[in-house]
Amino acid sequence: MQGQVVLFQILNGVGIGMIYFLLSVGLTMIFGLMRFVNFAHGTLYLVGAYTAFSVSLLTGSMWWALAFGPLAAAGVALISERLILRHTYDMPHEAQILVTFALALIFQESIVLIFDPLAKNVPVPSLLSGIVFIGPFVYPAYRLAVVCAAAVIAVLLWFVLERTRFGAALRAGSESTEMVSLLGINVQQVFMVAFLVGGALAGFAGTLSAPLRGVEPFMGSEALGVAFVVVVVGGIGSYTGALLGGLLIGIVQSVASSLWPEGARLMIYGAMALVLLVRPAGLMGRS
Amino acid sequence: MDISRRTALLGGASLLASPMIARAQANKVDVVGVYSLSGTFANVGDLLNKGTVMAFEHYKTAAGKQINYTLLDDQGDAGRAVRRVQEAMGQGVRHVVGCTNSAIALAVAKEVQARGGIYIHMAGADEATGSQCNKASFRWPGASYTAIRATLEPFIQANPNAKRWYSITGQYVFGESLLTNARAVIQEKGLTNLGNSYHSLGEREYSGYITAAMAANPDVLAVLNFGNQTVDVVRQAVSFGLKRNVKIVVPWCTGLDQYQAWGSDIVDGVYFGVNYWHGVDGPGNRVLSEVVRAKTNGATNYLQACGWAVAQMFVEGANKAGSLDISDITKAMEGLTYEGPTGTETVRAEDHQVIKNYYLMRGKARSAMRDADDFAEILQATKAFLSPDQAGCKMG
Repeated sequence: MQGQVVLFQILNGVGIGMIYFLLSVGLTMIFGLMRFVNFAHGTLYLVGAYTAFSVSLLTGSMWWALAFGPLAAAGVALISERLILRHTYDMPHEAQILVTFALALIFQESIVLIFDPLAKNVPVPSLLSGIVFIGPFVYPAYRLAVVCAAAVIAVLLWFVLERTRFGAALRAGSESTEMVSLLGINVQQVFMVAFLVGGALAGFAGTLSAPLRGVEPFMGSEALGVAFVVVVVGGIGSYTGALLGGLLIGIVQSVASSLWPEGARLMIYGAMALVLLVRPAGLMGRS
Repeated sequence: MDISRRTALLGGASLLASPMIARAQANKVDVVGVYSLSGTFANVGDLLNKGTVMAFEHYKTAAGKQINYTLLDDQGDAGRAVRRVQEAMGQGVRHVVGCTNSAIALAVAKEVQARGGIYIHMAGADEATGSQCNKASFRWPGASYTAIRATLEPFIQANPNAKRWYSITGQYVFGESLLTNARAVIQEKGLTNLGNSYHSLGEREYSGYITAAMAANPDVLAVLNFGNQTVDVVRQAVSFGLKRNVKIVVPWCTGLDQYQAWGSDIVDGVYFGVNYWHGVDGPGNRVLSEVVRAKTNGATNYLQACGWAVAQMFVEGANKAGSLDISDITKAMEGLTYEGPTGTETVRAEDHQVIKNYYLMRGKARSAMRDADDFAEILQATKAFLSPDQAGCKMG
């Protein structure tokens, strides 16, 4: 039975890991391309989640939220980038951290003012509100749908990054922005689109997570912590690393909650420390 | 030393004005509230403070003196709370209310006693009126012992076939306290304790713990934590289909605000223990409900009621004493009976614990809800408290 439980915890960990992947892929993309430390990334997750809450409240349907959540987060990312963040690209990391942290606090407190500080419920779409049986265990249908959606996003992202001109520019930009610029590519525009896509992905993660975890104003900072761990484990700037890092952290967390429950949270950081000891640049990072 | 005419005039004006300030101060009583408006517990502190503000705005005076309320934001930090209280008491404040968590309350209680003040709070840890009780401190809500006894005992009586228990517990003082009390009840009733999974204070993802609980095949899952962690564990447990064959019991729940965070689909059929419910009919709760509805256009939640209750206790005590002197108020509050948010409430003299109802509730199906806030029905109201001797209170 213990073996079956561990096996199921691994499967459950894959589900958690796919959400972590969605959450962190935008962050790693932005840092990899621009070397920009974005402490406001959790805010985009927060915006996606609260948009899901508002839209599902107004329309009674989560399906509309799936469209509006990523759009709202992308909009916030775009406006922040155009009005504030692009002015900090040439500044030291400390200044970027300060500015993005301030932005995160402003958004968090705005959410408290607009809504209130209490947690809110976002109902699971009725079509996905049941459970599915996996051997002797059950798994929520909605979680399974989230895993599938994240897998589709992962494939789409791979396609965009590996098979399109924009993806080539992004990958080249993460190696040398100067070289890309000399080749006649508008780097500022690439930065802007990267921010937009990164924001939309974080917003999508927030939207999908809302029925799983509800929404509350402080969820952004918690999400940011996990996203940074995944990015560091996977290797900064690596899309594949974000996927592997997300899965590793999800599986470690899930299995540990059976084998050593009180240390499950700690094991996330334990796994990160171990990876950094063995591969200082992360699983897929290049030193 | 040259004194200009302007300086002399200002000095004279100050001398003339000072008795007026003194007279104005004599007609007021300064009360400070210690709440976390930022930091980890900001979502709780904001509503607690609003409850206190509404109460003082409603009562306006205590012992005939106008209440002058000031909020001290402790930012969720017990050390900062003590420093803010020290500053306020250094300026002459003697009346302190409120806390956002037990650690803050226990730290502030010692400080207020040392400086000769009075402190009325809503800490959840048993120690507040147990091993760490003191003459200057009073506690309104039932603590972890009350929560477990008033919830689990009637639940077990109503569900005799629910014999195999599993728990998910927050690994902090309050969670441990709930677990210790729950294990005692399970043992006393001859039930089987299948196991427990601890989670940390920072945890948000509980699917692994729930899977471990499901593997143990229990009849009952007890959720022993507080705040948003309770919301997350129950939500995720229900999403894993646990309600099909497992009864979920949440002995420490804040009621309406958490029911709203879950929605009726999750609440339906789950058992909760609550310190306050807006639907309780009594003169004290009618006043509270009217004030909160007028201010917020909504029903009262536990946090607002808690904030209100500690302020009301201060006003009732001062009015009974007819004085703002600390020893007079303390004496008046010992044994004080008043109409509070949960009905007739009494302050026990021996340990300064308010003896009040704690409610076992069961979530209703959406179709059975009479209005948008009617999430659950009260199954039983119990006054279950440790005696001061059992709690280990030696009043100092």
